[in-house]
Amino acid sequence: MCGIIGCVGRGDDTLETLVEGLANLEYRGYDSAGVALVGADGLSVCKTEGELSALRDRLEGRDPAGTVGIGHTRWSTHGPPTDANAHPHTDCAGEVAVVHNGIIENYQPLREELEEQGHEFESDTDTEVVPHLIEAALAGGARPEPAFREAIGQLEGSYAIAAVIAGSREIFAARNDSPLVAGLGQDSEGVPPQDGTGGPVFLASDVPAFREHTPHVLYLEDGDFATLDGGLTVTDTDGVAVDRGVETVEWDAEQTGKSGYDHFMRKEIHEQPWALRQCLSGRVDELRGAADIDLELGATLGVQFVAAGTSYHASLYGAELFRRAGVPAQAFLASEYATSTPPIGDDLVIGVTQSGETADTLSALREADRRGAETLAVTNTVSSTADRECDHTLLIRSGPEIGVAATKTFAGQLAALNLLSLATVESQHDRRTLLPALRDLPGDVQAILNDSNAEGIADAYEDASAYFFIGRGLQYPVALEGALKLKEISYKHAEGFAAGELKHGPLALVEDSTPVFAVVLGSGERAQKTVGNIKEVEARDAPVVAVTDGRNDAHLYADHVLEVPETHPRAGALLANVQLQLVAYHVADNLGRPIDKPRHLAKSVTVE
Amino acid sequence: MTVTTAVVLAAGEGTRLRPLTHNRPKPMLPAATRPILEHVLDALVDAGMDRLVLVVGYRRRRVQEKFGPDYRDVPIEYIEQSKQLGSGHALVQARDSVSGPVLVVNGDHLVEASAVREVADAFAADEPAATMAVIERDDPSRYGAVTLSDGQVTDIIEKPDTDDYQLINAGIYGFDEAIFERIEATPRRDGELALTDTIARLVERQRVDAVRVSGLWVDATYPWDLLTVARSVLDRGRVSGPERSAGVWVAETAQVHEEAVLRPPVAVAPDAEVGPETVLGPAVAVGRNVTIGANTTVVRSVLDSDTRVGHGATLVDTVCGQSVVVGVDVSVPGGPADVRVDERVFTDRRLGAVLADRAHIGGAATLEPGTLVGPDATVETGVTVDGQVPENGRVVR
Repeated sequence: MCGIIGCVGRGDDTLETLVEGLANLEYRGYDSAGVALVGADGLSVCKTEGELSALRDRLEGRDPAGTVGIGHTRWSTHGPPTDANAHPHTDCAGEVAVVHNGIIENYQPLREELEEQGHEFESDTDTEVVPHLIEAALAGGARPEPAFREAIGQLEGSYAIAAVIAGSREIFAARNDSPLVAGLGQDSEGVPPQDGTGGPVFLASDVPAFREHTPHVLYLEDGDFATLDGGLTVTDTDGVAVDRGVETVEWDAEQTGKSGYDHFMRKEIHEQPWALRQCLSGRVDELRGAADIDLELGATLGVQFVAAGTSYHASLYGAELFRRAGVPAQAFLASEYATSTPPIGDDLVIGVTQSGETADTLSALREADRRGAETLAVTNTVSSTADRECDHTLLIRSGPEIGVAATKTFAGQLAALNLLSLATVESQHDRRTLLPALRDLPGDVQAILNDSNAEGIADAYEDASAYFFIGRGLQYPVALEGALKLKEISYKHAEGFAAGELKHGPLALVEDSTPVFAVVLGSGERAQKTVGNIKEVEARDAPVVAVTDGRNDAHLYADHVLEVPETHPRAGALLANVQLQLVAYHVADNLGRPIDKPRHLAKSVTVE
Repeated sequence: MTVTTAVVLAAGEGTRLRPLTHNRPKPMLPAATRPILEHVLDALVDAGMDRLVLVVGYRRRRVQEKFGPDYRDVPIEYIEQSKQLGSGHALVQARDSVSGPVLVVNGDHLVEASAVREVADAFAADEPAATMAVIERDDPSRYGAVTLSDGQVTDIIEKPDTDDYQLINAGIYGFDEAIFERIEATPRRDGELALTDTIARLVERQRVDAVRVSGLWVDATYPWDLLTVARSVLDRGRVSGPERSAGVWVAETAQVHEEAVLRPPVAVAPDAEVGPETVLGPAVAVGRNVTIGANTTVVRSVLDSDTRVGHGATLVDTVCGQSVVVGVDVSVPGGPADVRVDERVFTDRRLGAVLADRAHIGGAATLEPGTLVGPDATVETGVTVDGQVPENGRVVR
């Protein structure tokens, strides 16, 4: 899904308006972004793959000047790296810049024709024919507006297109089967002139891009052309002026992209069945007992994981999977690993990072690479730095995550790490028993979302002085993640412990105002021992919330139970985490915290 | 004036479709391999709507999670109807989100894009007080029958006693903003505001134009109707994904064993797996991520996503919800049956069984024709069941 922005009449704020507009289209996701501005010095273009922060970094110190500009953002879950493919695209002379959403179906013959005329192309995109077509029309003597019209007239397919041309203080736009909306700025009395004159004029694929500047919008229709200069002119295919009528939107920009949810985090929690389907799609064959992740890893003796935050908890889980398959594996905090690097030997080094831009993880991976290690990135972001720099990449395919607290991407990481261990080190027998459980994950997560009583538990304990989380084996990382989620967004003190470690110190903190969340799955020895820990806690009067599949006695000693469907304990860890996400969300919501943007925290930590 | 904003009413549960609506509203039930609402949104987008306002209520997150902030690049705004007090009440909730003329459509039955376009165009061109689509049906007693004179609606009769009428209300309307006040001025019946009551009142005072539409128009009233809906969708090829041979659609990421037999029409959704020697079809829809073992026979059935059918099972005229587990050698032979829903008995329905979400049917169990199994219910190994199993129920030998 892509996003377009354009504006005229914002003076020195033009660049910032474009970048902010792209930020407001954030919910559409990014894997590349770019802007083009026309000023007194002609056309300047700045674009880069990566998140919007990468564009901001690239703009740093360059500040392309101009008062007329367009911008573009793009996201693909599966697509190839997009180095040269970022928008805006330009013509040979660098005088025409174009952004585009949609597909130009006849670009191949157009491109061949242009190449015969001597035009040179830099990318593989269909979009790039458009600036060259405009260039050709200009060379034929046409004025800018007719040149744009002539170029668009040759296109077949779906498009929303915006173009700027050096020397012209206008944006030219056209729409066919792809959304495009104009915004008319208000004058000092807050009144929008019908033709847009007097205030700034905006263009975007969706209203939130410019909603902070104006509520007055005009939806273009298929076949429409628009020219934005001091005002706005809309014409049909034949160049006849048409009146599309100005509407006033009443909602505010904050709400958009949340699809009816109060917070992105809640939306992303509920997207997990979809995200897990994406992660597993085409990668498992249950009936044959096969997992295929399309990676050709060299023979390795062991595995070292490097990661930070939530991704570190996923790494602890991943390391345990490899160890259970008989492969030595360890998870390291990336910030420690980078400066206190352990012996690597012939180990595979796996960096787990949602954004692919986490500075600590990148520097740990670079250190491993410098020492000759084979590296693998487990990430959500195509063409991120981690994706480009590592020898191999395993995408978790969770879709864009906006909430600072990671939820669906943790689920995606756990699912992807299961695929990795199944495809590389585990036996046919393990695959046969585990693949059905992995394929059941979307439905099992949905069952929790349908019936969870986490909100009631959050209501009961929102005033607690501290929260403790315990678990064993694969449930230990789940306990750590449960505590991290709660502290990140509720600002309450929360800690996770290995269940057996409780009595070696932390038990001193436990009292009647500190609920203990115990993750207990299955009926084996580990579960029985954790039930023993629950009894220890109960004896200190602490309320206990058991997260359990009902196959052990935890419910007999717990004050509350958060149920998860019965499944393979590995898959159960992921399910238990969903319940704890919901607890953290509701505690923070009850306390009125800014859940999507907690204080002091950033989504992608790009500094060490 | 053109109509480019559509309001979709998708807040109701559809109680007569219980137990399938336990976890989701009727618009999210499957029409073959995709939700009913997805077909509706396709029709709206294909008809040129560039803004969608979805009124959601019962289990609204299932709708929001599925469609997100936009569908096929058309932005969606969600409006919550927190109490389901009728279709008119639902529409009024969208009042602050629309300006100018709107197209209104029910989100729980399938319509053609051409029908949507015709209503939008007719309303824009003629500017009556309202425009509504009507369609010919031979069973008007299940719907709202409509009488016309000179292309204008003269009366709406909800669920008439006879099948003498020819035309029914197709649930697609063109309105302007005055509709909101008219709904609010309509007296409530049993506390509810039905959109059709408002239109019936409007007919007496002002001009309400009818647009005769044709083509696909299917609605599910009872659970077994999902079998008919699937058949219509399959017969008309309204299936996304590649058509492997005439009437056989297999998604790219689905894995169908080369020794499985697919008898058209059959649709297999992404990531589904079908084992060897299995026979699917005719009129079978296999949902996303469904697993069907070896030597299984499935005829005239809908299996919704994440369902798992064991080796050697036989399913005829069966509707499976999501995450249903059908054990090995389970037999649902199908055939005519008397089905009881609440106090009503429907005689001679062709229904094998309805299995609600997460129902678990143990190996070698037999479900007699017309059996309804509730959500999370368990039928243990080897049991023969006839009749109804309640939510969370357990049938043992």
